[in-house]
Formats: sequence, C-alpha cells, structure tokens
Amino acid sequence: MDRTNPEKPSGLFNGIVDWMDERFQVRTLVQSALHVKIPRKAKTFYLGGITMFLFMVQVVTGSLLALYYQPTPDRAYDSVMFIMSNVNFGWLIRSIHSWGANLMIVSVVLHLLRVFFQGVYKRPRELTWVAGMFLLIVTLVFGFTGYLLPWDQRAYWATTVGTEIAGAMPFVGEFALNFLRSGPDITASTLSRFFGMHTLWLPMTLAAMLLVHLVLFHQQGIADPTKPVSRAKPDASATPEPEGKLLPFFPHYLLSEAIAWYVILGILIILASLWPVGLEAKANALQTPAHVKPEWYFLFLYQLLKFVPRVAGVLAPIVAIPLLVLLPFFDRNPELKPRKRLFAVIIGLLTVAGIIGLTIWGQFS
Amino acid sequence: MKHKLAISIVSAVLFLLIGIITVSAQGSDKAILSAPTSTPAAAADRVVTTTVKSTAKAKVDTCYDCHAELLDKHPKVAADWKDSVHGAAGVSCADCHGGDPTLDQMKTSMSAAAGFIGVPDRTKTPEICGACHSNVERMRQYNLPTDQYSKYKDSVHGAKLAEGVTQVAICSDCHGSHAIKKASDPTADVYPLNVPALCSRCHSDAKMMEPFNIPTNQFDVYKSSVHGEALLGKQDVRAPNCASCHGSHDAKPPTSAEVVNVCGKCHTATQNYYEQSLHSQLKEAAPKCWTCHGNHDVTKPDENMFTHTASTEPVCTTCHDIQTLDLIVDKAKFANPDDRRCDTCHHQDSWIYEQVLSLKSAMTVADLAYKQGDVMIAEAIGRGMIMNDAESRLAEARTSLISARAAIHTTKLTEVTKLTDKADASAKEAQQMASDKLGENLFRREAMFVAMGVIITNIGILAVVRRRLYKELE
Amino acid sequence: MESTTSATRPDKKLVSRRGFSRFLLGFSFISTVAGAIIPILGYLLPPPSANAGNGGRVLVGTTKDIPIGQGKVVPVAGKPVMVINSNDGVHAFSAICTHLGCICMYDPVRKMIICPCHDGQFNPVTGVVVSGPPPKPLASIAVSVDGDNIFIGEA
Repeated sequence: MDRTNPEKPSGLFNGIVDWMDERFQVRTLVQSALHVKIPRKAKTFYLGGITMFLFMVQVVTGSLLALYYQPTPDRAYDSVMFIMSNVNFGWLIRSIHSWGANLMIVSVVLHLLRVFFQGVYKRPRELTWVAGMFLLIVTLVFGFTGYLLPWDQRAYWATTVGTEIAGAMPFVGEFALNFLRSGPDITASTLSRFFGMHTLWLPMTLAAMLLVHLVLFHQQGIADPTKPVSRAKPDASATPEPEGKLLPFFPHYLLSEAIAWYVILGILIILASLWPVGLEAKANALQTPAHVKPEWYFLFLYQLLKFVPRVAGVLAPIVAIPLLVLLPFFDRNPELKPRKRLFAVIIGLLTVAGIIGLTIWGQFS
Repeated sequence: MKHKLAISIVSAVLFLLIGIITVSAQGSDKAILSAPTSTPAAAADRVVTTTVKSTAKAKVDTCYDCHAELLDKHPKVAADWKDSVHGAAGVSCADCHGGDPTLDQMKTSMSAAAGFIGVPDRTKTPEICGACHSNVERMRQYNLPTDQYSKYKDSVHGAKLAEGVTQVAICSDCHGSHAIKKASDPTADVYPLNVPALCSRCHSDAKMMEPFNIPTNQFDVYKSSVHGEALLGKQDVRAPNCASCHGSHDAKPPTSAEVVNVCGKCHTATQNYYEQSLHSQLKEAAPKCWTCHGNHDVTKPDENMFTHTASTEPVCTTCHDIQTLDLIVDKAKFANPDDRRCDTCHHQDSWIYEQVLSLKSAMTVADLAYKQGDVMIAEAIGRGMIMNDAESRLAEARTSLISARAAIHTTKLTEVTKLTDKADASAKEAQQMASDKLGENLFRREAMFVAMGVIITNIGILAVVRRRLYKELE
Repeated sequence: MESTTSATRPDKKLVSRRGFSRFLLGFSFISTVAGAIIPILGYLLPPPSANAGNGGRVLVGTTKDIPIGQGKVVPVAGKPVMVINSNDGVHAFSAICTHLGCICMYDPVRKMIICPCHDGQFNPVTGVVVSGPPPKPLASIAVSVDGDNIFIGEA
C-alpha cells in the first residue's frame, strides 16, 4: 500500500529487473498485467487457468514425444512402442500427454459451462466468449488429430468412424471426408496430415487464440456474476467498487490458481502412474476390431447418428456450434442470476443432460 | 378365369403336337433304353435312364404338370423336385417312379404297362439311385464319385438291407427323396454340420435300435465331446462328424486294427509319435487311441490322465489272459472315463509305474511354469506394462509344452523330458521378464508416492502463504 | 515511543513473515522445477538400444545364413518371424501359428512351414494353410533383400 517506502531489497534478480526496466519498462508492463483487482464475489473455480496449465503441460510433453515419434505408418507404431518401452520416462511422458488431453477437454468444457450458467458471457464480454468457443473447437480437433498418431488398432478405427461422422454431412460430406483423410481412405498421407495439424497448425492457432482470449479477459477483468452490467450507461459513470469487495489478482488470486494447478498435476501423475496408456495391436485396415468407437468426447455425436436420420444428426452440431458461438449476440437478456433467465438455463441443462446421456449410452452399447 | 382357359387350350394343343412327335420318335428312344450303359451322346442330351422302366423321353412332363396342381402333399412334392439338384439336372419323375410322362391320362401314364412302379421298394432304392450314380460317364460332368453304391453294399446298412432288413438307412433316408440337395449346401441334412443330427434321427431312437442291440446315447455323448463342441458349438466344419470316422455310404464302426489310422487322419503328429512307442508294437494287445481317449466322448486331455486319484487294486485280467498270461487289453475296463489311466494297466507295483509318475511330474512341472508365466504376464499387462518379449518367450514355452503333450504318445521319458525341460526353461525366462517388469512397475508406484509427497508439500506451503496473504488483506 | 513500537513491531513481524514466506515459496519453486527437470532430462538421454525402435528395416541375416531352400525363425521387435529363401525369392511371415500360437518352423524336406504342435502346414510362398487345424494363413511380413542382406520391414 505504501509504495513510498524506500526499503527495496537489492539483489541479482532486482538488478536484472532494473536493467530491463530501464530499457523496456518491464515493471510497468508486469504491473499492468498483474496488479489488477478482481471482485471478491467472482467464482471462477480456476477452470480457465487449469485449462491453460494443461495446455502448457501438453506443449511440454508433446514437444518431448515429437523427439522420438516418426509419423509414417510403418514407423509410427514402432516408435511409440519404443517410447513406451525403451526411452527413460517415455511411458510417463506419453501417459501424461494422453491423460492431459482428456483432462484438458474436461476442464475446457467445465469452463464453458461455468461461464454459461453464470451468464458472464453477456455484454461486454461477447468477444471473449467467441474466442473461447474457438479455443474449445481447436481443443477438440487437437484431441481428434492426436488420437490417430499411435497408429494402433484403436487409433485407426476410432479415426475411421470419427471421419465418417464428417462424411455424413449433406452435400459437402464426401469433400469433408476426403479433406480429413487426404483421400478416400486412412493412409500414410492421413497420418502426415494429422501429425502436421497436431504439432504445427493447431498449437500455433491455439496459442494465438489464447492470447486474444487472455488480452480481452485482462482488459475487462473477471466478471462479477452477481451484478449485471448496465446496458444504458457503460463503465464511465459506474461507481468504482469499494476496496473491501475487491481482491488483488496478484498474488492472491494467482496463488489459489497455483494450488489448483498443483492439484491437477498430482491427478495427472496418479493417473499416468496407475493407469498408463497402453498400445493395442498395430493398425490393420483389413481387420475391424469388435467394438469400434470414437474417443469418448465424440461418442455422443456418434451415438446420435445411430438413431437419428444421418442428415439431422450431422446438421444438429452444424447448427448448434454457430448458435453457441454467437450466443451472446442473440441472448440479450441482461440478467445473470439463473432464476431470472430460466429459459436459457433449462435449455443448457437439457443439452448437458442429453450429451451426458448419449455418451453413457454410447459407452455401453 | 379367361386367362386359365386360354392357358389350358394352348397347353392341350402343345401336348397334342409333342405327343405326335414323341410317338414317332419312340423307336430310337427304345434303342437307348436297351443299352443302359449309354453313350456320351445320350448323357449330353440329358436323357436319363434308370433301372426303372420308363417308356418315353420327352420335353413334356405330365407328371409334374398334374402333381403341381393337385391337393395335399402333391404340389410340395412337385416343387421340392423342381428345386432339387435332380430337377435342375433334368432327372425326371419317371426316372425313379416309372410311367410315361408324355401321356396326359392318369390311367395310362401311371399304368403298369407304362412301367409305373409308384414309390420304389426300399430294397430296390439303392439300386435305382446307383444306376445313374455308378455311371462314370454320367457323373464325370458333376465331379461326383461313383463308388457310393458299391460302398453302400459293403456298409452295415447295405449288408442288412441285403438280408431283407428294410428299416436300415437307404439313400433317401439321408439325402431325401424329392428335395435332394448338394452335400455342400448348408441347408442339406448331409452338410457336415448337420450330419450328427441326421444320424441321430435313427440312432438315438431306442425303439428303432432295439432289434440291433446297439446303444442310442452316441449323439448325446458326442455333443459334449471336444469334437462335438468344435463342430456343433464353434460351427467348425473341419471337426469330425459321424461320417468322418465311420464313413458315410460305407458306414461301419472302425475296428481295433483301424482306429489309429482313423484318428491319425487329422492327428498326424500324434500318430507319428504313437508309432514310435512300444504300445504300438503290441499289435492286438496294444492300447489304441480309444483305450485312453474313448470314442464318442473324447474330452480335452490333461495331466490327470496319468494316474487314478485314489489307489486302486490291480486286476490281472485287465491286461493278461488268465490262461496263457499273454498281454491283452480288456476294453471294458476302460469304459468309464475315470478309468482311462496309465495305472489301469501299469498298476502301482509294476515297474513301469515309476516311469508313468516321472512323465506326469515332468508334464506337471512344465505346465505349472507355463501357467505361472501366463498369470504374471497378464498381471504386468494389466498394470500397463509392455510385455512383447516375455509373451514371445512364453509362446516358445507353449510350443514345447504342446509338443511334449503329443510326445507322451511315444511313452519315452527322455523324448518328453527333452521338451518339458525346454518348456520349463522358456517359461522361467518369461517369468523372470515379467517379474522384472512388475518390479519396474512397483518402482513407478513408489516414485509416484514421492512425487505426490512433493506436490502435497507444495500445496501445503502455498496454502499457508495464501492464508497469511488473506489475513494481511483484512 | 508507544507509537513507534506499535509501528515497528508489526513491521518487523511482517518482514520476518515475508522472509519465511519467501523461503517457503523458494523451496516450492525449486522442488517443482527439479521434479519436472529430472524426468525430462532422463527422457532426452538417448536410450541404450536406440536402433531397435528407430524403425524401418531390421537386418535379420544374409542370404548366406539362409541359402535357397532354407528357412529360419528370427526375432524382430520381440516377435518371431519366419524368413524363407525360396526359389522365387525371399518371403517372410509371422512365425506364430494361427491355431494355438505355437512357433512354427521350416521343414526343408517337405518344403513347408510346419507347426510342431499339431502338424499344421503352411505354404512357404503364400503362407496359406495347406493342411491341419490352423484356421487362418500366416500373416505376411514385408521383407527386402539388398545385396546379400535380408531386411524385415519396409524401407
């Protein structure tokens, strides 16, 4: 509070910071990035941060896996096997990468649900929501492309049925299928396509979108889910929050976030150690295994396609995704409390229940 | 109505026309009939002659035309024939039943004068079928054998039939009379998967089998045997059905002298081993396949087949003729599967018993090592370890172990222990690999606990710092 | 006086508290970094049998080891592979019998791949079942000959 106090600890670290500050005004930069206040009533459950942490874990483990992985059909399987059985900690890195992917999808979806049910995607945070939706889609594509890379039976056939979902689209289905598979079948060029997407395109896209998401988030601060933002008079005339209702983002909020990251790291290590990722038999295009299923996060769609007319089943997500992306623009009800926006909340709950139901059904059918 | 009338007028005119043509051609047809071992030209013309005296060969078939329109079973009989192999190959009603299919009056076409015999006599049926089916020229085009009739005459069925016992199986009992299908047709009664049920239609019927004084439980026993389970359960057509061991047309129980060759048709490796044994040199007194494995009730052999579980009193007459003291095998002593043991003959006081025990222990030790290796590898796989090397070592153990099981038939301890020692060694190596991996897995878990300790400490530290910060904030 | 003591005491406490917090956070930071660095460094070290998984072709022998008319079972990536040098070239199959998983061998007299367990026989050129209980042919494996050297796997 009283920054006038000249008691500034000197040391190597501060020396370097001083040197940098003199040239690039780093202190101001860090100050503006970190020393912001957030409403005490904000309840984020740290999900956005957890997702970002998991992305960083994926970047580190993924870069390590790429050191030994060889993206051709006759070497992909053997190189993954090699990572698992010969490379020191190879099993750990691959298992963390695989479990991290699953957790990342869980946390990004929970993050979306939190924002939806708190209603905080509304004005003025529309664009943050849109960027977030793109991040979700990129994350799902990440999972989809990564699943094929081990080139075992499970990977091959999950990708076969997964790309067939895209192939079911009206009019453009065949094109989409050919585009995804780089031809009518899953071949060596599918594998290099998926590998390139997974290790070059998607990380760059996700990093760029994440930056946008974070900058937008930073400019507006964390939303207070108890207080709708007035439409008539934006910020200018709004009375500033009293100090007691605010919390410093740094270090208070970030410290809690760090605890959440440690918990997630612990969960990752336990999952990777007790249930390391396996490797089925090498992919064989001539032998379909008994129970072919896509990854669990596409299972609801796969199950939906089984009993709904193909066109309807594929159109549902095609319509639902743009709707979801543009949600803040047509949901113009300014209320945030669930009780005051029953329609949206009920639709949301029904959708979640439907997706969970279809996923469970798909798992046991 | 109008339609029907038109058809009958047209067909009547047709009959008349063709009747005139055939009557004029009868002379030449009779010439063919008088020479039943007909020429290739006749076969090519699809003119079929059987022992049944039918007068005419023509494009018209009044038998079919009428019977297809009659009531009761007749339309079905006509349709069955039409869909059958005979219907397709142009073997007509008259070829088996006689009569003249060119005449449209029942009284004349189905008269004795026209050679009509009705349902062929059971004793005559094989001969009627055999007239065509023994003809090499006629059967060549279908790639069918021609020895069924002669085989049949040599079978128990055929011999009894010749004695005038008419309830034995004749051709039509297995193949059907009108709806005859190829043996390769899965819906045919004679298709391999359906043969046991076919034979059991008569052979499981206690009343039918009473005059012959033979058992009727073979089908039930077979169903639960390894062979029955493979054929009927797994639908594996390569598994033996009744005919595989007894023959089909030449059905007869294999004799003691034949049984080794019968089983050896499929169990080639085992037969080779058996023929190296002292057992096989005993000729008449030799224990054969069925002595230890039974016949219809063959089950999966295991290590329990060496000795009885409880000690038994040796019975001299099991293996010795009480008068001459020559070696024999009293098959009755092996009727109960629990008595099909080495020590039924080589009783506990005999000097070969030691060897039996050694064989048993060699097999048991190797089998145990293999099973333990299997369990350990499964456990390591269950914990997410990659076990390719150990699995392939265990496959080597399995190869030696299965070979050792077959080599037991040599009854030579050295032959068997050579293989069991190899199996044991490979299995032990696989076990070692598995236990190394399990050890590595344990280390991973321990390392996980250390890592969790660090993480929990850090969470604790951050929690403490956080509490202080919040206190400061108040 | 009173005012100074009341001012300095919490200040002192604050400093020592900060110092302690800093110590704790330092420990936390270092332990976390160490925990992450150890597996990563271990991972980066080239593993002992770096050639085994580096995929591609595996040298299994020469045409002198396996002359025409001979066959041999060689381990490739821990799995037995049957390599046969026949009159019309070198062929390779999985040596694992499709019946019960025994390891097959080559019989140069009968010119057949045979399984010692139940006398299953396979064609040495195509791998199809010739006789015996195996339900399926042996899986074919890519093989190439470069000069005298026989390689398993695609180039």
